[in-house]
Amino acid sequence: MVPLSGYLTLSAILFTIGVIGVIIKRNPIVVFMCIELMLNAVNLTFLAFARYHPAPLAHDLAGRTEVYLAGQMYVVFVMAVAAAEVAVGLGIIMAIFRLRKKVDVDDMNILRG
Amino acid sequence: MDPLQLVWLVPGLPLIGFLFQAFFGKAIVAKLGDAAGKKVLGFAAVLPVFAGFAITLILWANLPTNTETRAVVATLFDWLSINDIHPLKVPFEFLIDPLSIVMCMIVTGVGGLIHLYATGYMADDKDYPRFFTYFNLFIVFMLTLVLANNLVLMFVGWEGVGLCSYLLIGFWYKNVANAKAANKAFIVNRIGDWGFMLGIFLVFAVFNSVSFYPSGHNLDRSILMEAADRLTNNPGLPMVANPALWIPLLLFVGAMGKSAQGPLYLWLPDAMAGPTPVSALIHAATMVTAGVFMVCRLHIFFELSQIAMLVVACVGAFTAFFAATIAFGQFDIKRVLAYSTVSQLGYMFLACGVGAFGSGMFHVVTHSFFKALLFLGSGAVILAMSHEQDMRKYGNLSKYLPITYRTMFWGWLAIAGIPPLAGFWSKDEILSHTYASGFLHGQGMAVFLYSVGLITAVMTAGYMTRMMKMTFLQTDERWRKLPEPHHHELGPQHEPHEVGRAMTTPLIILALLSIVGGAALAIGPHLFETFTHPSIGLSLMKPTELPGGTEALLIGLSIAGAVIGLVLALRNYKTQPADQGLGVPVRGWRALAEKQWGYDGAMYRTFVTGGGNFATLVWRWIDAGIIDKVLVNGIAKLIETVGVLLRPFQSGFVRGYAFTMLIGVVAIIGWVFLKAVVR
Repeated sequence: MVPLSGYLTLSAILFTIGVIGVIIKRNPIVVFMCIELMLNAVNLTFLAFARYHPAPLAHDLAGRTEVYLAGQMYVVFVMAVAAAEVAVGLGIIMAIFRLRKKVDVDDMNILRG
Repeated sequence: MDPLQLVWLVPGLPLIGFLFQAFFGKAIVAKLGDAAGKKVLGFAAVLPVFAGFAITLILWANLPTNTETRAVVATLFDWLSINDIHPLKVPFEFLIDPLSIVMCMIVTGVGGLIHLYATGYMADDKDYPRFFTYFNLFIVFMLTLVLANNLVLMFVGWEGVGLCSYLLIGFWYKNVANAKAANKAFIVNRIGDWGFMLGIFLVFAVFNSVSFYPSGHNLDRSILMEAADRLTNNPGLPMVANPALWIPLLLFVGAMGKSAQGPLYLWLPDAMAGPTPVSALIHAATMVTAGVFMVCRLHIFFELSQIAMLVVACVGAFTAFFAATIAFGQFDIKRVLAYSTVSQLGYMFLACGVGAFGSGMFHVVTHSFFKALLFLGSGAVILAMSHEQDMRKYGNLSKYLPITYRTMFWGWLAIAGIPPLAGFWSKDEILSHTYASGFLHGQGMAVFLYSVGLITAVMTAGYMTRMMKMTFLQTDERWRKLPEPHHHELGPQHEPHEVGRAMTTPLIILALLSIVGGAALAIGPHLFETFTHPSIGLSLMKPTELPGGTEALLIGLSIAGAVIGLVLALRNYKTQPADQGLGVPVRGWRALAEKQWGYDGAMYRTFVTGGGNFATLVWRWIDAGIIDKVLVNGIAKLIETVGVLLRPFQSGFVRGYAFTMLIGVVAIIGWVFLKAVVR
């Protein structure tokens, strides 16, 4: 069985790739992909921990056993938020593209101080 | 209906006159033409004032005869009413008592004569309606002042006459000097009003009331007397904290401002910038005596404190003497009269300060006769000399202005104190009361004040003789030597002319009053004082009775003083002394007197120039230096500096921001790890 550290190492590698991509890439589409990569690296960490260190069993007031799936649920939320973010982000990129006929992250510096 | 309830008509009729002049004056002149319009307006201005005089006579006739209850309050309406822990009730009500009747008679009687005179004096002025608008308004406020039954209503009149005085001094406002004189009068009066207001507040704080007499009929003043008694006999209160001292002193500051006394006299000489009827009405006969009237009206407060009485007496005596010295150095005929007014007002305060309030009021009455006469006469001279006021350019005018001279002659002797003319009676009463004031201020002080008064009487006769000599009696006609343009304004014969009937009639009436007015009121044992009871009188004061021999001696001394002053000046000014001629620089003490002994200049330097410099300093250092530089611009500079420092971080490169965030995240995580490892 793959140990926890294996998942975490993979997650770290994916995250680092994502970070480097965000920093060095100038195409916003690629930047978005890298952000997705980072989010998924985090998701992988959530799931790995949820699997290897599950929450202790708990009982409700009626004495029934309850299983907490907090880690897994977080992943679902992250995915939902990521989807929403991409929708908004792509919309912005489309708008910029229509305005300037090209999308380069480094060209979008009109908020320079 | 009780005729006394007609009292509202006394100020009410001039008020209608004022509204008429204000709203229809210009239209009437435009419609009827200049001459006819002015005739109508002049009539409309004079009529309500004389009507007020007639109503005053009716009031006088209907006043209760019982000397103890001769004070009737006529309430018109509730004016101010504040329900608080200390409820303030100020009804709009008039007080009819001997004192207010006397003042009303002066204001409407002498005032009416001056109105009549002004219809002639101002006949050639294009602002005729405006003049009578202000003039009638003045009468309204002056009557409000003297009739008021409480301090607040009195203050309304007090400020109102101040306003009219300001408007009329600056009547010929196109001349900057006149506008400045008006401002000076107004500003100096603010100082007095400050004191008066504080006095009113203190009165209210102590007595919970500002009314002189309670509303309703025929009430005596026992309540006020009791409260006053409690104040004076309060051993727990140190003297410096006792309202019994401060109420009179603060009220006296107000009186000093309005009546041009002590340090606040300096607005009155400049107030002569106004038309001469204004000087006669406001700055001689009525408004400036408001201070004396107020002290007499509130004499109970003054009697509370011997110190306050001494202050009043000393300020009065000093001002009388000081102004008399200045009068010798003046060449402007109206300025001589102005200083004479200041000096005579000083006499009135001297009388008040020695407890002889009745004599002070008596002098107000006689002074209003002869000083109005002298001012109106000087106005006639000024008009005849085509607005030349320098007495060095007069001479021998008795030949050309016979009526003016003959009337002013009596005013001159009256103010000099020659018996049996008006001035003699009142001045002699004041002097003998001063001599007898040992019971109040100690015999030494009484004799000192008396000698100041007597010397001033000699000087009064002196400077008035100087004025009359220079104007009327010296035989060289100096105005003939003046350059042509002036000369030609004097008319076809190149000579001054007697003024018209509208102006000579008041002069003649006032001359008659100056001759008999004093004797009529003084003959019989203290007739005037008996009449003015209980408004004024020696209620708390118990003067020492002078033995008959001393009294005769005092009378002899005051007659001798007047005659000495008269004779010396007559000899000295037979012809114009060489050192006071035209174009000769004034030298010696006269130069100092001309400059008001440097007082006016010192005040100007201290408060006008000094105040300006102080304001410049405040502007340079506090406004421009601290507020502008440090607070306003400083904050802007600070924010700008911070912005400049932070600017590089806002590069606009999204990837740069991401990298910065990365560094931050790494640093935080690294720190957390490091802590975990170290632990």
